[in-house]
Amino acid sequence: MSRWRPGPISIIVFVAALLPMCELMLPQSAHITEAVRGVFLYAILALGLNVVTGYAGLLNLGIAAFMAIGAYAFAILTCEIYPFQFGFWPGLLLTLPIGALFGFLLGAPTLRLRGDYLAIVTLGFGEIVQDVLKNLDTITKGTQGINPVPAPSFGGSMWTADDEYKWYYLLLALMVVVILGVRNLERSRLGRAWFSIREDELASRSMGIRVERIKMLAFSAAAAIAAFAGGISASMLSSTGEPSNYDFQVSVLALCIVIVGGIGSIAGVLVGALVMIGLNSIVLVKATAALDALGIGAQGNVLLSPNNWKYLIFGLALVLAVRLKPHGLVPPRIERRAS
Amino acid sequence: MTALRASAITVRFGGLVAVQDVTFTVGEKQIYAVIGPNGAGKTTLFNAMTGIYEPTSGEVQFAGRSVCLTFSTRVAVRIALSALACALSSLIALNVQDLWQATIIDNYQYAQPFPWVESAHDCFDALVGLMRSGGAWTAILGGVAGGGAAAVLWWRSRRTPDLIARAGVARTFQNIRLFNELSLVQNVLVGMDHRMRAGFWSALMRLPRFHDERKHFHSESVELLTFVGLADRADYAAGSLPYGLRRRLEIARALAAKPNIILLDEPAAGMNPSEIVDLMTLIRRVRDAGTTVVLIEHHMRLVMGVSDRILVLQYGRQIAEGTPAEIRANPACVEAYLGTESHG
Amino acid sequence: MQDSEVFLQQLITGLSNGMIIALIALGYTMVYGIIELINFAHGDVFMLGAFLALTLLGMFGMEAWPQHWQLAGVVLMLVSCAAFCGTLNWSLDRLAYRPLRRASKLSLLVSAIGCSFICTNLGLFWGGMPMDVFAGGVAAAAPKDFPQLVPQYNLLGESAVRVVPADIAVLVVTIPLMIALVYLVKRTRLGRAMRAVAQDSTAAALMGIPVDRVIGVTFFIGGALGGFASVVYALYNNTIGFQMGYRAGMDAFTAAVLGGIGSLPGAVLGGLTIGCVRAMSDQYVETRWTNTIVFGILVLILIFRPSGLLGSTRREKV
Repeated sequence: MSRWRPGPISIIVFVAALLPMCELMLPQSAHITEAVRGVFLYAILALGLNVVTGYAGLLNLGIAAFMAIGAYAFAILTCEIYPFQFGFWPGLLLTLPIGALFGFLLGAPTLRLRGDYLAIVTLGFGEIVQDVLKNLDTITKGTQGINPVPAPSFGGSMWTADDEYKWYYLLLALMVVVILGVRNLERSRLGRAWFSIREDELASRSMGIRVERIKMLAFSAAAAIAAFAGGISASMLSSTGEPSNYDFQVSVLALCIVIVGGIGSIAGVLVGALVMIGLNSIVLVKATAALDALGIGAQGNVLLSPNNWKYLIFGLALVLAVRLKPHGLVPPRIERRAS
Repeated sequence: MTALRASAITVRFGGLVAVQDVTFTVGEKQIYAVIGPNGAGKTTLFNAMTGIYEPTSGEVQFAGRSVCLTFSTRVAVRIALSALACALSSLIALNVQDLWQATIIDNYQYAQPFPWVESAHDCFDALVGLMRSGGAWTAILGGVAGGGAAAVLWWRSRRTPDLIARAGVARTFQNIRLFNELSLVQNVLVGMDHRMRAGFWSALMRLPRFHDERKHFHSESVELLTFVGLADRADYAAGSLPYGLRRRLEIARALAAKPNIILLDEPAAGMNPSEIVDLMTLIRRVRDAGTTVVLIEHHMRLVMGVSDRILVLQYGRQIAEGTPAEIRANPACVEAYLGTESHG
Repeated sequence: MQDSEVFLQQLITGLSNGMIIALIALGYTMVYGIIELINFAHGDVFMLGAFLALTLLGMFGMEAWPQHWQLAGVVLMLVSCAAFCGTLNWSLDRLAYRPLRRASKLSLLVSAIGCSFICTNLGLFWGGMPMDVFAGGVAAAAPKDFPQLVPQYNLLGESAVRVVPADIAVLVVTIPLMIALVYLVKRTRLGRAMRAVAQDSTAAALMGIPVDRVIGVTFFIGGALGGFASVVYALYNNTIGFQMGYRAGMDAFTAAVLGGIGSLPGAVLGGLTIGCVRAMSDQYVETRWTNTIVFGILVLILIFRPSGLLGSTRREKV
């Protein structure tokens, strides 16, 4: 192991850790920690997607489905209207194996598919999961969503939405844990096998890589991380929300983060999450507020409601990113020296 | 000792017979060359031997063993288990709401302790009830689908390239297939993958075992790169290598698996005469290190210079087999192949 | 209604919707056949076509036209929507796909998803247009009513099974288009060029075929078929919305895969099958499970017969 040097990841985490303290010096209206929490949450989701799409090169368009599975599993395990009533931490930890199991169930039959077919199957899976969650209303309460979902409690009292900074640091810490886990896998035999099947599946198979197993692990790891993100989000919002909260748009947002940030790069995912969620939940929200203050809000014209530009922004982000920055804003670290 | 025995290999694509009835034996630590005009079926033969294609008929044995997985009790148990799992899960999946109602909702009262034993009993009763009321058909259907899928999966994975690679057969490709975005060291490390033992958890948790193994294989891969003369570029991306050096890296990657047999598909293609001399030295050194070498090649000087025995293919059939001197003296070979080669 | 009549009725609905799905599926299958890209934006191009049809209808006040003039109006809509969707699809290729010909398949697919989102958003904006047919554009995202230009009487007279002129209109538009398409691909120079590019674009380029132009034309034809489909869809189902492209696109893609992607008769067969499956599932299972069933079928086909019903397998060259 070489000497530790602060890389982009540790700098981002460090700045994020200092942010609330700097923010307290600013007036209330300039506070952004609540939105930054969203950055952390989506960064976790996108780190999961990055494992399967960035490392193993398998386009997964149904990552939001695993987030939904995680959220509902967490809610059913912890919520007091169900008999299981696990605490926050056991419940959150259980989302990992549950997510992995569903990843396995989706992955097992589809691993032999070509890349683009796999994309479609995962997309379809994302739709099926929404439909199933909506239709099995005996279990999932249908479109109401499950609530209240418990929050963590340290020292007796359970957190509420007012404990802004506690949530902030909890999410930051969980994101750091996920980053460490993903980084450890990336820099291992398994990570190398993922890269090799992305580069040339047949060659890596001929080198003795068990491609099915490796792909399966990528799928399950991604699903587990996404389910973990789902559990956190349900706890943070104290509700799973309705199943259509986990629709294709969420999957594409995660894809945008990975593609814009830098496919296969952890630092890229963090930067991508900052850019995309920054646009989505900070710039657009503030712009809406500003327009409302000026009295030309959503009622007037479809073009004047910034929320209506979301699809366009995501779409343009994807098209422009693959065209202009195919390796993303922070490409993965590979030696590309010419010889 | 024979390292490789191919008996009556035939590969057919639709109506086209690419390889017909080819039989040969490679002794241990031999250098064995397969030659023939373009389109003679040499690469197809390699692909059939390494599991990329399924031979239409015939058998390949490495060190006297067929690599093909045979049907065993373990396979049967696995198929039966997956049939059972699919039967049960399809039964549950199609009636999940009723089961939930009977098991959870009917037993749970808000904030009361949950009667686990009773509810498990209810769940069992509900399942039995389902089986009686037509659910059996669902279960049977699901079981057949699950068992069938497992059987198909097993059938398809009987003879995959990774299985053959793990049995100690490594290869290179005619149109070089490196992992271009990975560094040279990483390319070699992929070749070593199946010799590594540290798995998912030790990587995730960074257990001591992971560090030991990493150190060991990293130094071994640098040694191997030194062996093929690429150590000074160890951290460059493979895609940045010039063409001639890529073949060396591919050979290093194949050697990384510590194979008993290494199959080289046109290793000298695109090389200049001095590079070919280097390559010949390399091939001899590989053999001297204890590896059997099988190669496809067009450069007659290389073939005649290094091979112990030669197999000649034409239009998918074998027309001769023997030592270089015998092949050179064989009129059919000279006519088919050597006669057209100016520097033969 | 008797059981058999219910079944017959659902079959008619399924076949009519299936023909529309087939028309969209042809666009997917042609593009996939030639550059192996799932043109995600195709469904949204189709959706924009329907919005154009509604706009034309509102602009010229076609609702108030006399009956036979309305027929001319429909023809006008068909022609302009086909031209519009074809051009739009061609421009997507020109702007978003052609620069990526040498990039990885993943980038191309991501670019297509991006285009799909952009088109969806354009549909949302379009829905906010201050016109009467768009309900004044107040609720941009709401589904829009598409007036019934085709009369609704039952062609079978007093029978319980209804066959309305719209069913016939679907056939009158789709069948000649499919025949024309097969003729184009099998019998013309352009079709031969398309098949050559599909098989090996490098070799086709070396033989002097202008590959990029052929691909562009393929996109245009695929888009134009989507344009025809959009008008027929709007006339038949009488409601359009900016998110219908996603749904219709998924159905059509499933149809294309079911039939064997790259195969024209396969797309038609697949479309009809999916249309019927949807109709039967609406009737005999439950509407809310229909999408799940369709996707389930897609997954099953991809697992057990990825080449589809009429497709052929391709072997990777080693």
